[in-house]
Amino acid sequence: MTASEVSYNRKIISEDLSNVEFDTSEDVEVIPTFDSMGLRDELLRGIYTYGFEKPSAIQQRSILPIVKGRDVIAQAQSGTGKTATFSISILQSLDTTLRETQVLILSPTRELATQIQKVILALGDFMNVQCHACIGGTNLGEDIRKLDYGQHVVSGTPGRVFDMIRRRVLRTRSIKMLVLDEADEMLNKGFKEQIYDVYRYLPPATQVVLISATLPHEILEMTSKFMTDPIRILVKRDELTLEGIKQFFVAVEREEWKFDTLCDLYDTLTITQAVIFCNTKRKVDWLTQKMQEANFTVSSMHGDMPQKERDNIMKEFRSGQSRVLITTDVWARGIDVQQVSLVINYDLPNNRELYIHRIGRSGRFGRKGVAINFVKSDDIRILRDIEQYYSTQIDEMPMNVADLI
Amino acid sequence: MNEQGSKKILFNKSTLFSLKAELLRKQEEVNEKKQQPKHKLENFKPPVVAKGKDQEKNTNKEYKKSFKDSLKAIDAEELEACRKTKLALEKKAVLYEHLSDNAGSSQLSGRFLVDFDSKKKSEVSTENKIEELPPNSEDFLHQEDGEDSEWTEFTDFLGRTRKCHKSDLDKYIQRDRQLMKVMTKSESNNGGTEPVHSQSNLNEHENLSINSQPQVSDTPIEKPLLVQKTNDYLQSLREKWEQKEQELLSKEKDIHYQDLLFDEARIHGVGYYAFSTDETERKKQMEELIKQRAATLKAQQEADQIRKKRDEMMAARVAAARARQRARAGLPPEEPKEANQKDFTTCLLEFLTQQKNEADAKATEEERKLKEEAEKERQKLREAYVREWDIGKKDVEGKLKKFREMSQEEYVELQRSKRINEFAPLHTSTSSNLNVFNDRGKILKYDGTPTTNAWDDGRLKPVSPPPSNIADLHEHVHQKTWTDVRPSRKTPPPPDIGDLSESSQKGLYFTSNKKKENNVKYRNFVKAQELTPIVNEVYEPEDAFENREDTRDHETSGTEVAPPPTYDYYGPVAKKAKFKKPFESDIREAYAQGAKSLETKNSNRKLPQHYDFTFD
Repeated sequence: MTASEVSYNRKIISEDLSNVEFDTSEDVEVIPTFDSMGLRDELLRGIYTYGFEKPSAIQQRSILPIVKGRDVIAQAQSGTGKTATFSISILQSLDTTLRETQVLILSPTRELATQIQKVILALGDFMNVQCHACIGGTNLGEDIRKLDYGQHVVSGTPGRVFDMIRRRVLRTRSIKMLVLDEADEMLNKGFKEQIYDVYRYLPPATQVVLISATLPHEILEMTSKFMTDPIRILVKRDELTLEGIKQFFVAVEREEWKFDTLCDLYDTLTITQAVIFCNTKRKVDWLTQKMQEANFTVSSMHGDMPQKERDNIMKEFRSGQSRVLITTDVWARGIDVQQVSLVINYDLPNNRELYIHRIGRSGRFGRKGVAINFVKSDDIRILRDIEQYYSTQIDEMPMNVADLI
Repeated sequence: MNEQGSKKILFNKSTLFSLKAELLRKQEEVNEKKQQPKHKLENFKPPVVAKGKDQEKNTNKEYKKSFKDSLKAIDAEELEACRKTKLALEKKAVLYEHLSDNAGSSQLSGRFLVDFDSKKKSEVSTENKIEELPPNSEDFLHQEDGEDSEWTEFTDFLGRTRKCHKSDLDKYIQRDRQLMKVMTKSESNNGGTEPVHSQSNLNEHENLSINSQPQVSDTPIEKPLLVQKTNDYLQSLREKWEQKEQELLSKEKDIHYQDLLFDEARIHGVGYYAFSTDETERKKQMEELIKQRAATLKAQQEADQIRKKRDEMMAARVAAARARQRARAGLPPEEPKEANQKDFTTCLLEFLTQQKNEADAKATEEERKLKEEAEKERQKLREAYVREWDIGKKDVEGKLKKFREMSQEEYVELQRSKRINEFAPLHTSTSSNLNVFNDRGKILKYDGTPTTNAWDDGRLKPVSPPPSNIADLHEHVHQKTWTDVRPSRKTPPPPDIGDLSESSQKGLYFTSNKKKENNVKYRNFVKAQELTPIVNEVYEPEDAFENREDTRDHETSGTEVAPPPTYDYYGPVAKKAKFKKPFESDIREAYAQGAKSLETKNSNRKLPQHYDFTFD
């Protein structure tokens, strides 16, 4: 784009953003190795230890601008190392000698917040970084104690974080970076107010980083309210689905047959690990019960469960003790379990973005994955829409689906 | 047999035993089935296939959208599959018997990894208890009597052969019964879609009771086996995690990755090292790791040095050898000439690359500077920008104020200073202009809320602004949306910084022009230098040697126009000096050396003096 075109676009932006196509910023540098990023030694060691060898596309582009202190909007396909991207940047820009909260990471679910905490601790294992998961459903007293102890990074969910800020337990004066993971979800109606509340307590012009696999236009439009001249690293939506995740559908005539189909697929599910998505908590409960009655070993998780139970289910699933997890969209975003290679949409997701996130639970960091959608005849239209929207291919499930996992 | 015994196969004790165990099991099963009535045998399925939900599973493979279609096919397919299995197993059994009977003497024996000969010998002692498979070799030897052994095996309701501790046998059998009840019940509920199967399962179960004589009790268990079992195990895991978490909570120290791992099955990098969860231990490990790392680095360095030294020595030796060879062949020593030749080409190359690099560096440097400048300006803009969500915060108020205090006067002054004089209006008096601005400026006041209006670019040209612009301008002063503040060609930036784009354009105008010129000159320059000397050197005989300087001078004078702005920089003085040297030295020396070596060669075949230093 030439300079005049850009300025022309910008002029439009100020008037009506909805007609503007957001593009990746022009002068984004690509750095092909971690070594050449100028990261600290301890951090590099942590990165290699954690299993990263070569930075992924998003890591090659986003780490440096974040480290430089720029506001960044980063989009990348699921499972390509977005969490690690901002984690590495955070760790690089931390002052570990200063025992105060310097970075605040907000994410939509407690499990995700905990996972991010784990990644930060893993990558920063040699840096002696302290990161706290400030999430709801846990003991307030413990939270306060941990925060008082001094945490460099706080990864949390908006509600509890705001609570902690209001109580002045979480001091914000040293916070220099705010990261919104799954940013589109965080800036959606349900969360936006809470994000605003938290933001109001941060020092002005705090560096803001938005990260997500999906960044709808309306989200990009509103970023100027809390970001300054952000660097955008975006992915076109026809490049958003991963080659490694094969997508299929199974057409059923009646809802009841979905269950039978699932039972048939059980052996395939347990080849490695599988996640089954339903649209409601009640349906999760129902399906779990029905599967267990039929003597299939499954576990389930949704937002109405007590946090303790959710934690345990997560640990079981992460340790590989349970192999099939029936869950809601609480699990759709960000959760990373390497061994998950199969995702089943027992119900089709309620929007296009969720589809990307759901199938992205499989095929983590270059692994193979399979997504199977159960569709009733009237659902096929929706599936075709998704197919077209992302320019991807969703075929009828072949017999040898187990070979693809 | 000796021959068999000497056959070397890659194995260890345990593989051999598990192989043997597998064989025995298969044999036993087939025998068992053979003894039973025909229809049972037909329903026999090898345990490999019979796993969990086998009732449904076999049909599942073929299962597609419609149940109805598949249901009809089930029985026929099932029977066919079973028949095949049976046949295969029978064949295997016959083969196995043949092999074990003939031991090593069979023709076929060479094909198999099992040493049947020695196996036969060892089997004599353990023959009476085939069905009890040892968990390890020692047990195998010790378990002479089935009653005394600790482990036992039974076939459960689903047809799986399971191994368990003797003491647990009752419990398992009880569970198995329970499972059977549940399964048969659900199957009958299913409308008897698979009658053959439930039949076979019942039979299997009878087998079980025959085999292990369990004491059956009818106490009910709430959950079927599978769920129950996993729950037990998970319960213990959960307790473990719970305990860990409690420890974490009570831990008043740092929390590390290891503390949060909770048996996660994650693949880490090659260099992954699981630190201790104990703080002091962890510290120790960390120190050790750092020490090791330092040692590795040192070792690497040393190895590198050694390699370098070795390479040097090798090169010297090779050079010496070549010299010797040449001397033996009666050729003049090439060394000095070659060195000179090399000197010349490398000199040229070096010079050219150096020039190129310098020019490149200069270009990039300029570019970088430009960029930096633009970036700096942009950074200023960024700093000045006030986010909508930040309005009302403490420090921002100051910023906003500062923003406001930047008066029209200052802004106009700033604009004026950027203006190219030629474009200045001829008869405008600055004071009158100022007055206008001041008047207007006083009228407008900042209302505290951000305005998101865009303003028209065209109206903000610094050429004699009509009064209506001033209002716009002022509005712009309170602009807060970033997109409006961005520097761009037409859009004037906020007043406190001034027109960045204009200035950068100015800069671009000059520097880019200059750069372009540079590039052209530079290319010409390189070509002239690069081509002429080489061509001349090749085609010119020795007597042209003297003229070379002239020709070159001539050429340059012929094409001479005005000296480029970078003339000093790339100046011909340096280049000439650099060029002259290799030329003169190289050819003259070559002659001298040639003559000298001819002399020395004639007198004796000793290596010339100057070779000596290569040997060091």
